[in-house]
Amino acid sequence: MNNGFGKKIRNFIFDNTVPLMFVLICAVCIPLSGFSFSYLLNEIVTRMGRNIFLILCLLIPIMAGMGLNFGMTLGAMAGEIALILVSDWQIWGIPGVVLAMILSIPISVLLGYFCGKILNMAKGREMITSYIISFFMNGIYQLIVLYMMGPIIPIKHSSIKLPRGYGIRNTVSLLNMRQCLDNLLAVRIGGVKIPVLTFMIIGVLCLFIIWFRKTKLGQDMRAVGQDMNVARDAGIQVERTRIISMIMSTVLAGFGMVIYLQNMGNIATYSSHSQIGMFCIAALLVGGASVDKASIGNVFLGVILFHTMFIVAPKAGAQITGDSMIGEYFRVFVSYGVITVSLIMYETKKRKNKSLVGQQLAQAQKEEAKAHE
Amino acid sequence: MNKTRSLLFRLGTVLILVGICVCMMIVGRGHTVYLDNKKIEVDGVEYAPPYKITVFVGGEQVAKLNARDRGMATCIGQNFEMTLKIMKEKGGEETTETYRLKLPYQLDGIVVNLPAYLAGLPEETWMSEFVSLATETSAEDEELPGGDEMDEFEMGDF
Repeated sequence: MNNGFGKKIRNFIFDNTVPLMFVLICAVCIPLSGFSFSYLLNEIVTRMGRNIFLILCLLIPIMAGMGLNFGMTLGAMAGEIALILVSDWQIWGIPGVVLAMILSIPISVLLGYFCGKILNMAKGREMITSYIISFFMNGIYQLIVLYMMGPIIPIKHSSIKLPRGYGIRNTVSLLNMRQCLDNLLAVRIGGVKIPVLTFMIIGVLCLFIIWFRKTKLGQDMRAVGQDMNVARDAGIQVERTRIISMIMSTVLAGFGMVIYLQNMGNIATYSSHSQIGMFCIAALLVGGASVDKASIGNVFLGVILFHTMFIVAPKAGAQITGDSMIGEYFRVFVSYGVITVSLIMYETKKRKNKSLVGQQLAQAQKEEAKAHE
Repeated sequence: MNKTRSLLFRLGTVLILVGICVCMMIVGRGHTVYLDNKKIEVDGVEYAPPYKITVFVGGEQVAKLNARDRGMATCIGQNFEMTLKIMKEKGGEETTETYRLKLPYQLDGIVVNLPAYLAGLPEETWMSEFVSLATETSAEDEELPGGDEMDEFEMGDF
């Protein structure tokens, strides 16, 4: 009985190493940072509204067995291009956000299709391939934004255009749509601003994901994710299903980026998208997800833990070492570190399971041979 | 049959999205309205500015304009509604009136001369396009990707 309980605890700790590690880090850093509870809560709620939609878009490729979609950067680029155009056309407020979301769809679909096609050629190496695709696409993005916007794609306003006459400035202001989603229907409880509309949109996406899992396409994706060969034998169009999952993820990433940037209030034209994939994936992994399994719960827990660490780390670092930069380095180191640890743990678990299956098979064969003797 | 239905469904979705885009472009078009309380001369007739005009947009005070002042308000859509509290002379009585303007879609910044508008003159006399005279930052101010830096790995040409 005691042994069983101990084993359960050991398994729980082994299965949730990353979230537990982060709970520990937060438990140490929060008192050290000296932030008040309401400030911390306010910051976390703001960051939840800003990031959850983006992270939710990672769930669909995981369902289809394509791992962590580093290619979500492509959707982020689509969202940024749409926002630059909307900003130049002077469409403000909620209509601007809606228009940017719709405009991002065709770009995201195109990029998602391209990414899905390539990932189908690199089965089993989806994550590294999508990571490199995002670098490649960043070059194309820069070509479009730096050279084609102005002479080929008309840009009217000098506040957006570079003084040389073409290309987009480093920063594009979204002042006229800043936090328009967050402020509409916002509620203040005990000094904490709750962006109700943003959370409603996130809620709708969560419901969509839950519903989608039960649909024929969702079931197909799960089947493909479990075993491609079995799924193919069952008559599922594996390649098509994988491409659809990539397109869906990219489109949702585009929407997520629009929500993210309307909260920030400006676009860092050449850098906003570059780290977004890394931080979203790190947050999802912190929530206890793995390369082949992730849930909505992981997203919420991940955002809370990861961003709590993000908020408190610089101040806690300053308290411990006297230099706030240590905290800055710490959070970047942790972001990359958590991805590495998760990937190693996933691979270790996979190999362990494989060897366990091998051992069981050998044992069964031995017993069968004994029985024959 | 199934294919036709699917195609029709897709076309319908695209059309709906295009429709929403058009609506958003009309409904969400932002304008900056500059309100001038300045003297204006039209056909040799001079229209003097009132002593003070307080401008309210959406229930909020956006400007308090003495003679020769300029105020600013933003507007989403083509219908601009403002409430003016006008004091014609110093120490005089204030009158409050609400006015509705139809803003031209293509203009970002619109200058409205309030004395001419209040005098009921034709639109072209009180409405004009705002032209910014702000100096642009030089190209050197912007640090662009692929500029001075060599590459992301800073290995340069080797």
